[in-house]
Amino acid sequence: MSALLTAQLTHLAPIDVLILVLYYLLVIFVGFYVKRATNTSEEFFLAGREMTAWIAGLSFVSANLGSLELMGWAGSAYQYGILAAHWYWIGAIPAMLFLGIVMMPFYYISKTHSVPGYLQLRFGEEARALSAISFGLMTILMSGVNMFAMALVMKVILGWNINFSIWIGAVTVTVYVMLGGLRSAIINEVVQFVLIWAGAALVPILGLIEAGGWTNLKAQIARNVGDPSYTHLWSTLGHFRSNPMGVHWTGIIFGLGFVVGFGYWTTDFLVVQRVLSAHNLRAAKMAPVIGAAFKMAVPFIVILPGLICLGLTSHGHPVYHLVGQNAVDAAHPYSYNEVLPLMLIRYCGPGLLGLGITALVAGFMSGMDGNISAFSTVWTYDIYKAFMNKHATDRHYVLMGRCSTLVGMVISVATAYLVADAASIMDYVQALFSFFIAPLFGSVILGMLWKRATSAGGFWGLLAGTVSSISMFIYTRLGGERALAHIAFSSDAQPMAETLYRALWSWLICVIVTILVSLMTTPKPEAELVGLVYGATEIPDDGATALWHKPIFWAVIVIVVFFILNLIFF
Amino acid sequence: MAEGTGRGEMISIWFFVGALTLAYGLVLLPYGAWEWFGHHEPHTVLNNLHPTFWWGLLLTLFGTIYTTRYWPRREDIDKI
Repeated sequence: MSALLTAQLTHLAPIDVLILVLYYLLVIFVGFYVKRATNTSEEFFLAGREMTAWIAGLSFVSANLGSLELMGWAGSAYQYGILAAHWYWIGAIPAMLFLGIVMMPFYYISKTHSVPGYLQLRFGEEARALSAISFGLMTILMSGVNMFAMALVMKVILGWNINFSIWIGAVTVTVYVMLGGLRSAIINEVVQFVLIWAGAALVPILGLIEAGGWTNLKAQIARNVGDPSYTHLWSTLGHFRSNPMGVHWTGIIFGLGFVVGFGYWTTDFLVVQRVLSAHNLRAAKMAPVIGAAFKMAVPFIVILPGLICLGLTSHGHPVYHLVGQNAVDAAHPYSYNEVLPLMLIRYCGPGLLGLGITALVAGFMSGMDGNISAFSTVWTYDIYKAFMNKHATDRHYVLMGRCSTLVGMVISVATAYLVADAASIMDYVQALFSFFIAPLFGSVILGMLWKRATSAGGFWGLLAGTVSSISMFIYTRLGGERALAHIAFSSDAQPMAETLYRALWSWLICVIVTILVSLMTTPKPEAELVGLVYGATEIPDDGATALWHKPIFWAVIVIVVFFILNLIFF
Repeated sequence: MAEGTGRGEMISIWFFVGALTLAYGLVLLPYGAWEWFGHHEPHTVLNNLHPTFWWGLLLTLFGTIYTTRYWPRREDIDKI
């Protein structure tokens, strides 16, 4: 990492600084503007439940569109080719549609404020406590990782001081989330979504023009890397050895598509919270469908720049030769993670460069505000109100929400400095997500679809799944390739396969333990499951009359486009 | 009601989207014109396509449509 900090890629012209300043002024103004409409806890934590499907949907997809992810997956596209698009398509689209059509009615009509809140209604206080504490911990740490990543990117691209970047990001996000709560975060996320496209869409457009179109680009990539598999999504997944990622189609479909994708998009409160802010059931069901439609387009600004970087040639030789972060040296000064900044600098002069950098900053801030607003809600509702102070006034909980935003940000800043001192911590913090998400999905889906699941089953299933995931993580870190071969059932598996199969096994363990313990314990009376479980709940009509008003109609269109895209790039 | 900003507020979330993109368009468009017609193109690949000018024009059009369509109006509050 020290090698990365020695030189900056470019500098900002005054017009770039003006564009960046305009953005900061707007986000702060939004915070002050919506504060007047943010007085009750419903307004602070759930934006008054008055968002339209479009706003909730764009915010839903934007909260996940952090720059850490944008830059990371652009780098992965350079490293592994188009296979990286699986994380945007099969790893997201089916899960988002499932959330909208199947799960959202239960979240919405149960009137829960959070995913841990749903677990409390369905499985009791123990499951809520386990889920709330683990979620609170990982969101706050992730916010710190995001903050440090932004500071590092600004240092690498522009030579900015790390402290300056950390504090300006932290103060800005704290101000607008403290003032306007989720409402402020959602507005900024929608603005950030548009800004990310405005700042990043020009790169793939100009890149495709330079490469001479998609067909030429594919041919140039095959020539540069000496392997045609980099531009195929599925045809190379028959064996771990036949694709650059070292994964198998079973891992992509069941591990990524089913467990990781469904786990993240249907139970991670950071994204689900955005949909809970919808103003009626139809909007709540439509929001993830709209989000899925936009999510399908994201590879255009993330994966395509990585592929363009891989395929560009000059006098018959590759223009760029990027390496892993640990292999950066004088001969190879750029790592995979610098794909997006390098492409920005290649095509964007003053003004456009400022727009691109502002898009990256906006992406970081949407990642941070998502984590902080979700932390503040879970802390206030599922830890403070549930276990420390049950009977305070509504005003008191809003104050607690604002204070926890501030405290959460201070802990995030401390995490950012901790990560700055020991970069390896970043990998562990990012791994934290994978420990909890897959088992949580097991508990929630059984809780929603199986009336027989009991409180004890839910708690022990969640605990067993989480412990097994952590155990497998430690096992593969200590056991190396041999351990990885056991987890993925193949000696040819690469590290990327480990995450997918670990998620799959921990989900299965959670489901099996939940079923076994539930069958040995007494179920809740059906009357207590109304509004929480399929089969015990009459789903209210969402009010859609015409065909094009129905969420299922749009979900079918999205899934058809999804299949077509997968076939085109098969 | 102004969408997304709360009951009783005048400014819609879409107005913020329009205002920011319009502001960026109005910064980039004249700068792109100055680069193009003043022969001050930056040393970037495909600078002969004048991307700053065209992108600035696109943002100006998008921003103008959204800003005028969602311009804060008093009657939005009175309807509540």
